Amino acid sequence: MASPSSSYEGHFEHSALFEFSTVINSSFDLQFILGHILLTIMGKLLSSRGAAVLRGADGTYRCEMVKGIPSGVGECALAIRTLPRGLQYIERINAQRHPWVKYFREQGLEILLPLRSESGPIGLLAFGKRGTHQRLASRETTYLRSLGNIAATAIDKCRTIAELKVVNRRLDRKIQELNTLFDLGKEFGAVLDPDKLVRLLVFSLMGQVGVHRYLVCLKDGGDMRIAASRVDGPVPQPELLSILTKVKVPVTVEEMIVTGATDPRPVLGSLGLHAVVPMALQGQIRGVIVLGEKLNRDPFTSADFEFLSALGSLAIISLENARLFKEAIEKQRMEDELLIARDIQKGLLPSVLPVVPGIDIAAANFSSKQVGGDYYDVVLLDEHRYIVAIGDVSGKGTPAALLMANMQATIRALVPLQLSLSELTARVNNLMCQNTGGDKFVTFFWGALDHRNRTLRYVNAGHNHPYLLHGDGSMERLDKGGMILGVLETLIPYEEGEVVLREGDLLVLFTDGVSEAMNPANQEYGEERLEAMVRGSGDQGARALIEAIHRDIQAHADGAPQSDDITMMVLRFLASSPGVR
Amino acid sequence: MSEFKIAQREKDAVHVLELKGYLDAHTAPALEEAFQTLLKNQRFNIVVNCKDLSYISSAGLGVFMAYIEDVRKNNGDIKLSNMSPKVFNVFDLLGFPLLYEITKEEQDAVKKFHPGK
Repeated sequence: MASPSSSYEGHFEHSALFEFSTVINSSFDLQFILGHILLTIMGKLLSSRGAAVLRGADGTYRCEMVKGIPSGVGECALAIRTLPRGLQYIERINAQRHPWVKYFREQGLEILLPLRSESGPIGLLAFGKRGTHQRLASRETTYLRSLGNIAATAIDKCRTIAELKVVNRRLDRKIQELNTLFDLGKEFGAVLDPDKLVRLLVFSLMGQVGVHRYLVCLKDGGDMRIAASRVDGPVPQPELLSILTKVKVPVTVEEMIVTGATDPRPVLGSLGLHAVVPMALQGQIRGVIVLGEKLNRDPFTSADFEFLSALGSLAIISLENARLFKEAIEKQRMEDELLIARDIQKGLLPSVLPVVPGIDIAAANFSSKQVGGDYYDVVLLDEHRYIVAIGDVSGKGTPAALLMANMQATIRALVPLQLSLSELTARVNNLMCQNTGGDKFVTFFWGALDHRNRTLRYVNAGHNHPYLLHGDGSMERLDKGGMILGVLETLIPYEEGEVVLREGDLLVLFTDGVSEAMNPANQEYGEERLEAMVRGSGDQGARALIEAIHRDIQAHADGAPQSDDITMMVLRFLASSPGVR
Repeated sequence: MSEFKIAQREKDAVHVLELKGYLDAHTAPALEEAFQTLLKNQRFNIVVNCKDLSYISSAGLGVFMAYIEDVRKNNGDIKLSNMSPKVFNVFDLLGFPLLYEITKEEQDAVKKFHPGK
C-alpha cells in the first residue's frame, strides 16, 4: 500500500473527524449514531466485524448493535466491572480479571475501544481483524481514540435526551393528572347530584386511566350499592362486592389477598376487571372502584394507584358533602314542618277562655322544643253548665298534633248531644280507637260544672289526677273514671265522679309535662312539689298560681331543655252566687 | 365559566361534530348528550373536528371512551381531526392514538369512512 505524505494524511484525518462529528451530532437516533460509528471505524480499519456494547442505567453492559456478526456478543447482560483503559488488543486483556472478554474472542473481535464521556463509562466498541493484518500505528490509535471520544459524547448526549424525553413525558402525565384532579375538584364542588358526580368520576376514570370496564360501588349504611358499571357480564351480587371493602389499599385483582370463605377474584376476572381501588373517607372505606384493563394493556403501576386513590377520595368527599347537604335540607324541611305543627296545635288551644261567673279560671300551655300533644279546652254546654277538659296525646310532633286536633273536633262535636259524661267518654274513646288504630293513646280528664248546685261531675280517663284543694285545707284527687282513650273500644262504662265545690276551693288540672319536668341531673319535678305549690297557694288568683308553678318548674329545670309540653288549668271558686251572669 | 360549543353538520354521510372551547368536567355532559343523540338517530360514522378545541380534560376524553364501543358495535367509528399540538399531546399522553384514528385534516378522516373512493 502506498504511503501518502503525513501532512496530507493529517489533513484527511482532520476533515474526516470533523465530518464524523457533524453527522453523528446531527441525530438523536441512537441506532443511527451507533451504525455510523461502527461503519466509519470498520471502514478505517478495513475490518469486517464490529460490535457496540453500551452500559445501561443499571450498570450492566448490553450489546446494542453488531455488524458482520450473525449473533450478538454475549447472550444477555455482560458483567463488566471496570472498563479497560485506552484502545486495547483483546488478546492482551487479562481474561481472568475480565472474564467477559471471551464473548468478544468467540466472535472474532480483536480490537477494543472503550467509550468514556465526562459522566463516566459509556460502553465499548469492538472490531474484528484488520483486512491488512497490520498492527495499529500510533497515529491510527490516536485517530481511533478521537473517534471514540466524539462517539462517546454523542451517545451520551443522545441518551440524556432520550431520558429527558421520558422524564418530560412522565411529568406531562403528572401535570395532566393534577389537572384532572383540579378540574374535578372544581366541578365536584358545584355538583350536588350524586348520580352526576358518579358519572363525572366514571368519565375521568375512562379518560385518564383509559379503561372501558369498571364498577363503582358505594357503601350505603352497611350495604354496598353499585353506582355505575360496565362489565363483560351480569353485575355481581352486592354481597360479593362487600368483600372488597376489606381491601385497604389499591391492589390488582391478581395480588388481592383473600381471607374469608368467598373469593371474589374469579368473578372479577370473568368480568374483565383487573384492579381494586378503595375510596376512603377519614380512614373508613366508603366505596370501591374496580377497573378493567388499561387501553394500552400496561399493568397498573403505583403511580396509577396514587392517582386513582386521590380521585377516589375526591369523589367520596364530594358524595359525602352532597349527602350532608341533602340531609341538612331535609332536616330544615322537617323543622319547618314541626314549626307549622306547633302553630296548628297552639291555634287549636283556646286563646281566650270563656268568662265563667263565680270562677276565676286560667290555663296555659308552654311548648317544649318538640311539638307535644297537650290539649285543654273550656266549652259552654248549656246556660248552666261548662265543660273543662285537659288531655295529653302520646308521642310528639306532627302525628301528636294531628291526633290532638282530631280529639278536639270529636269532643266539640259530641258535647251538644246531651249525653252523660260517661256515655260521651265511651263514644270519644271508640272514635279515637278507630282513628288511631290503637297505636296512639290519650290521657284525658274532663268535667261538667253545674252552677246551679255547684257540682262538678267528671270522668278521668287515665290522666294525672287533678288536685281539688278545699277552702278548709282538705285535699282531694279526682281519680274516678276508666281506661285511657284510644287503645281499646269501650267495654266497661266509664265511672263518673262528683264533687261539690265551695267558695275558696281550688281545682288544679295538669299534664305530665309538669310533674315530669326534668332538671339537668335527670330528676323529675314531682307531684309532691306540685302539691306543695297548690297547698301553699293562699289566695292567689288562677293566673298568678299558674305563673308561680311555672316559675318553680323553671327553677327546678335549671335551663335543661324540656321534652314535653307543660300544660295547666286552674279554677278558683269565688264567693259570688252561682248562676249570676 | 368555561365556554364550550358543539356545531354539527353532515358531510358525505358522515356526521361531523365541531368542538369549540373548553371540554372539561363541567362541559363534558354537553358532548355526552351530543353522542347520545347521534346514537339514538343511528348516526354511527362520526368525525370530531377539534380545530377550535382549546382544552380537553380527562373527563372530556372519558366521553369518547364511553361511546366508542357502542359506535363500533354498529360498524361505525369516531375519528378525530384537526387537533392543536396542545390538545393532541393530551390525547397522546393518555394513549388514545392506540384506539382512535386521528388525522390532520377533517377530509382525511371523512375519506376513511369511504375507503373505496
